[in-house]
This record gives sequence, structure tokens and C-alpha cells, in this order.
Amino acid sequence: MQTILEIHGAAKRFGGVHALVDAHLSLNAGEIHALLGENGAGKSTLLKTLAGVHKLDAGTITLFGKDFISAGTRGSLEQGIAVIYQEPNLFPDLTLAENVFIGRQLVHGKTVDWKEMVARSSALFTRLGVPLNPLRLARGLSIADQQIVEIAKALSLDAKVIVMDEPTAALSANETERLFNVARSLRAEGAALVFVSHRLDEVMALCDRVTIMRDGSTVATAPISDVDTDKIVKWMVGRELSDLFPKMPAVIGETILKVENIGRTGQFADISFEVRAGEIVGIAGLVGSGRSEVIRSIFGVDNYETGSVTFLGKKMPKNAPSKAMRDGIALVPEDRRQQGLFMPVSIARNSSITLLKSLSRFGLIRKAKENASAAEWAKKLQLKFNSLEDSVDRLSGGNQQKVVLAKWLSTNPKLLIIDEPTRGIDVGTKSEVHRFLSQEAAKGLGILMISSELPEVLGMSDRVLVMREGRLVAHFDAKDANPENVIAAASGANA
Amino acid sequence: MKRLLSIREVPIFGVLVLFFGVAALGNHALFSASGLHDLLFTSSIICLLACAETLIIVMKHIDLSISSTIGFSSYIIGKNASNGHGLLYCLILGVIFGLAVGAVNGVLVAYLKLPSLVVTLGTLYLVRGLFNQVARGDFINSDKVPHLLTYMADHTFVKVPYLFLVALAMAIVVGFVMRHLRSGRDLYAIGSNLPAAHLAGIAVEKRTFWAFTAAGGIAGLGGAILLARFGQAQANSGLGIELSVVSACVVGGVAIAGGIGTIYGAMIGALLLQTIVMALGALGVSQFWQGVVNGALLIAAISLDKILSSRSQRTQIMRVSA
Repeated sequence: MQTILEIHGAAKRFGGVHALVDAHLSLNAGEIHALLGENGAGKSTLLKTLAGVHKLDAGTITLFGKDFISAGTRGSLEQGIAVIYQEPNLFPDLTLAENVFIGRQLVHGKTVDWKEMVARSSALFTRLGVPLNPLRLARGLSIADQQIVEIAKALSLDAKVIVMDEPTAALSANETERLFNVARSLRAEGAALVFVSHRLDEVMALCDRVTIMRDGSTVATAPISDVDTDKIVKWMVGRELSDLFPKMPAVIGETILKVENIGRTGQFADISFEVRAGEIVGIAGLVGSGRSEVIRSIFGVDNYETGSVTFLGKKMPKNAPSKAMRDGIALVPEDRRQQGLFMPVSIARNSSITLLKSLSRFGLIRKAKENASAAEWAKKLQLKFNSLEDSVDRLSGGNQQKVVLAKWLSTNPKLLIIDEPTRGIDVGTKSEVHRFLSQEAAKGLGILMISSELPEVLGMSDRVLVMREGRLVAHFDAKDANPENVIAAASGANA
Repeated sequence: MKRLLSIREVPIFGVLVLFFGVAALGNHALFSASGLHDLLFTSSIICLLACAETLIIVMKHIDLSISSTIGFSSYIIGKNASNGHGLLYCLILGVIFGLAVGAVNGVLVAYLKLPSLVVTLGTLYLVRGLFNQVARGDFINSDKVPHLLTYMADHTFVKVPYLFLVALAMAIVVGFVMRHLRSGRDLYAIGSNLPAAHLAGIAVEKRTFWAFTAAGGIAGLGGAILLARFGQAQANSGLGIELSVVSACVVGGVAIAGGIGTIYGAMIGALLLQTIVMALGALGVSQFWQGVVNGALLIAAISLDKILSSRSQRTQIMRVSA
């Protein structure tokens, strides 16, 4: 089998942090290659090197038998390497057609050939099974659809090496399956695909070989038929994981949140449920089933038209997130990059932004107190960082999520609403987040959790609610919930 | 019809026609051929500079220095003409001067990554200061203005003032670049999502540099139009018009947040603001109130934009996974 790409002994350092120490990766034509590792294992750095964003300090990369030239993002694209990032990078003000061809718009003579771009992007969308309108602007597109546009972009490049960094993290089961079919057809055409995912079942189902990284080095490369998930997890963490979801028993207290018949036209209707102190209530459902819209309405960032929300015995006003915060509700949103963090700001400032009042005297923030508070949370959450003064955009995804958690939990809320708590987070950090949520619940915190990962919902929740097409369609106690009945309810199949 | 209304420039043009119509009903002189002529004639400077500013605002930058550049350029052209040099020579000098100022802005913003607001505020003062130093009390009066420029100011082509035709020609050229050339499309990408523009392999620094340079060049060329329009040049030529230009762009739908807007919208915005000035003047409203109305219109324009864009997002159908 022909080797397309060979990375040998790659090393890269950022300041004092060794992102890559001794990384190896070999890609064959016509294979889907899984690249796995915990957050901070160096996967992102390796991918960004291929994308032309970073340049290696040491090591070699050969592409089609020739030296890979690190010449910026454009250089990588021209050498046939397309990287699809976890967070889509679209231009909200441009049409989808232009987004697909951005930076290398098709030209007729010297002028941009709009007709051809529209026709070709339309064909690509059709090939992907999602007939998006190429003339539509990218603004307001769901993450799943944005991903489709990103994939269309890579296809339009006719790339021979396609790197997908967690493409399925925001996709529903059907969308994931559709993506897999596309990936398989690209493999059949001879492309080499790198697939980064934290969902091991997906890796087992899709990939041909797997390479595992830990602490900047490649630990193992093996055909998928020779490994199982236990072995992979062991390689990734370098230690045995006794329990993925260490849920602790909690004393369920009184009802703290009571949602009655809330609804908003076209989004969700007749939503009623309760959350009690010390209880974790999971909301399962497909992407787009209206789960995020419901919790955003409860918190007050969005409106609802009918029904009412009662918290600690008092009726909550609509559209008043600051009141909700004062009363003890915290919301950790799904998209931490856009909604949860101030990316260029320091870890300390991010984790303390919600409690500036208690940290300040005469309206001035006391730096020492801010740092002390941040350090305390960093320790509790086992945050990996260089300095609390570093900006959060230098942290890995899992560690960013921990900062978001610190930011909200430091306000001592009574109810934590959390949307996809571990989306795009590696196994090790995931279990740390779970352990942490479980601990807080045991101390009496009520948690309302949206999750698209079934093991997480089933493993963490005391009760599981299922939403479909804007309605609450099922309600299980933990002991009655199983993958079959939850999936059946979420997808509308009659179980 | 729906498609037509979804083009950003159409509603703004509707407002322009409405305003002009209402104003003309109140004052018949405005609706005459000479009223239209006056509107186009007085707007020509702002329209021309709007071409420069649109290039910049679309990238989510701003260029405040254009008013100093156009002023100094008009003096350079006028001074050299009065020293007996030919118009073409003077024009080239003016454009080169503009390109140079633009290139300075471009280097500072694109390569040194300094904020354009501060950089161009700096060059706004810097160029004006140099201008004052060079010009002192010097005054280029109308009999020293090159003949062709005077002719262009005094004559029309099919009832359209030549000065406005120059601005229109510039708009067509720049509009074509922004719509149909890769370099122009890249400006929208840069303004819409800068990190993504880097990732897409767009030569962000190069594009930014050349856009600022081009904007300076347009302002340099504008010096000739400014000289023709007022028939004179002196130390405060062009003073303060940079904010009128920015207002015209924003009223015309060029989003200050970058990524959205066209030259044509900006020109319509310039005409709309000028219509209001003329209408209020014709109605005998003091010019202080004209400022109030212009300011209110500016705020109304961005508010309306906000409302319209949030509505168009709301009407998007939620994709329910089937």
C-alpha cells in the first residue's frame, strides 16, 4: 500500500511547554486513520503543523515522497492537505458558495465566476446529502451545517490528505452516519483521512488504523482489528480507568426548579419538569430537538411565550439572566468559545469574572484575591496550565471547559444548567468533569444537563428527559433508562 | 420582488427617493434640474471618498486620514499648477502623495498590527500638521486652478456634473474590483472573520496593506476634485469631512463591523445625507439642527440594520434532524 504522508520524530515547543516531543504518523492511500489522545497530548499541534499554522522545531514530514514545505495555510492547501477544524471557520457575511471557494475563488479570465462557484458548491452539497442553498449567507447556520460547508470546502480542493478534527462532535446520529459514508467513499477514491474523535465507538466503526498520542509523543500505531476500546483508553491515559462515570450517591432534596408548560412558537411547546436539590437531570435528544432553546429560555437569555418558571418557590421573570444569576442559577453554554469564555483574557480573569463584586473593594478588583480564587479552582478542577496570567485561548479544549466551570461554580449557584458538558473533551478530562459534577451534586447542587452522548446521560443522571422536535416525549428514572428506550424516544421510533 | 428587497441597497435607495420627494414637495426648486444638479455636484467629494472608505470599512478597519490627504493633495496640485506645471504632472504628484500616506497607514495597520482607528487618527493630524506647515497662509485661488478642472466644475454631461461622473467612474471601478476580483472578495472575508481568513490562506497583510494604499491613492486623486469643486485650496481644505464619509458609508449599509456593504450603498448614503442637508437648508432650518438630524439618521440607520438582521435570523427555519 502506498504511503502518502510520513511524520517522523516531530517536536515542537511553545515557550516552556513541550507540545510535541517525538510524534510519528504514517498515512496510507485509501485509509481512514484515527488519531487519538487526551487533551494536551499534542494532536492539535500536529494537525496545525500539517495545516501550515505551526512549523516543527525538529523532525521530518514527507508527502508523496517529497519534503513537506511548511509555507503557511495556503501552502498546505496547495500541497493537497485540507484540515477541517473542530470549530468551523466560516465567513458569516458571505454566501455558502463563496465560503466553499474562499481564498481561491473560481475565475473566468480574471473575474470571479459566480455561476460556476454556485453550481459546483451545489453539487458538493448534494454529494454530501445536504442540499444547502449555495446563495444563502453562512450567518445563522447550525454547527452541523457549518461542518458540512467545511467538508465541501475540503472536497472542492480535491485534497489527498483530509484531516478532520472531531467532525462529529456536533452532529446528530444521522448526520454522523452520512459523514461516515462520505468518508468511506473518499477512502475508496484513494484519499488518506485522519479522523480525530473522542467517541471510541465511532473510531472502531469507521477507521482502519489508529495512532495514539500521549504527552506529545506517539505511543502506538495499530490496525483497528488488533485493538479494542479498553486497550485504546489504556494507551491514551497510561493508566487504568476504573470507572468512566463515577457517580456518587446524593441525597435528593426539595424541588428547586419548576418549569410549567413553557413554549415558544416554532421552537418548543408544553415543556414541564422539575429539578430537585442534589439531583442531576439529563436531557437527551438529537441535535436540533430544541433542548438548548429550552434551557436558554429558563435562564432568561431567550424569551418564551407561554407557561412559567418557578425557582426556589418564586416565579422567575422572563428575559432576566442577571436576576437568574443573582438568585443562584448558572448556565454553562454549549459553545464555550463563543458564549462561555473571553478568549484573549487570562485564566484568572476568566474564572473570576462572575464574582468581581465579592473580589473588589471600593469598586477596584483586588488582584491578589482574584488570583487566590482562581488558583483554588484550578486545583479543585486539576487544571493544566502554565501561568494563571496566560490567556485561555492557549489552553486545550478540556481545560477551557474547566475554566468555564470554575467561572460559574465560584458563584455558589443552587442550580447549574450545563449544555454538552464534555463535548470535544478527551476521556481522561471527561471523567474528571463528571467526577466534579457528581461531587457538587452530592453537596446539594441541582444540575440540569443536556448531553448528546448517551453513556454520559445514562451514567450521570438521576432522571432522564428526552426531547424530540421541540417536545418532551419521555421521562425515565435512572434505573429504567437504557440506550434502547432513550434512542427510541429521541428518534421517534416506537419501542 | 422579495429578492429585490433583500438586496441591502434597495431599501436605502427607497429612503433616498422618499426623502428627496418629500423635500421637493416642500420646496419646488429642489425638484428642478438644478436641484438635482446641486445635489450631485455637492455630493461628489463625499461620494468619491466613500469609494476609499468602503474598501477599508468592509475589512473592519477605518481610515480617518483621508480628509487630510485630500486637502493636502488639492494644495499640491494647485501649487504645482500655479508654478506652471501641466495638469497631468500635478495629478500624478497628488496621487503619489495619497498612495504614500495610504502606504504608511497600510504598513502600520497590516504589518505592525496597530489598530487602524488610532493609526489613521495619527496620520490625520500628522498630514494636516505638515500641510499647515507647508502652506502657512498660502492660498491657491481660482485663477490658479488648472483650466480643465474649472471647466469640469462648471459643466455637465447629459445634465450630470463632470465631478460627479468622476466619482461614479471611480465607484464603478472599485465596485467591480470588490465584486468580481479575488482581491476584492478577500476584503469581505477579512472583515467577516479574520482568523478564518488567515486559515483559508488569504494573504491578509498584503490585502490590508494594498487596500489602505489604494484608499490613500483615491483620496490623492480626490484632491483634484476638491480643488475643482471649491476653486481654491488652503490650509483647511477638506477639514473634518472624514466623519461625513464614514457616516455616508454606514447610512448606506456598509457595516462598521465589517464584511457587509457596497460602494453603491455608500454613494446612496452620501446622496441621502446631502439631500437632508439641502432640504433642511431650503426649509430654512439652521445648520445646527442639520447636524442633529444627520446624527439621528446615522443612529437610525444602524438601529434599523440591527432590527432587520435579527429578523432575518429569526425567520430561518430550525433544522430538525430527521
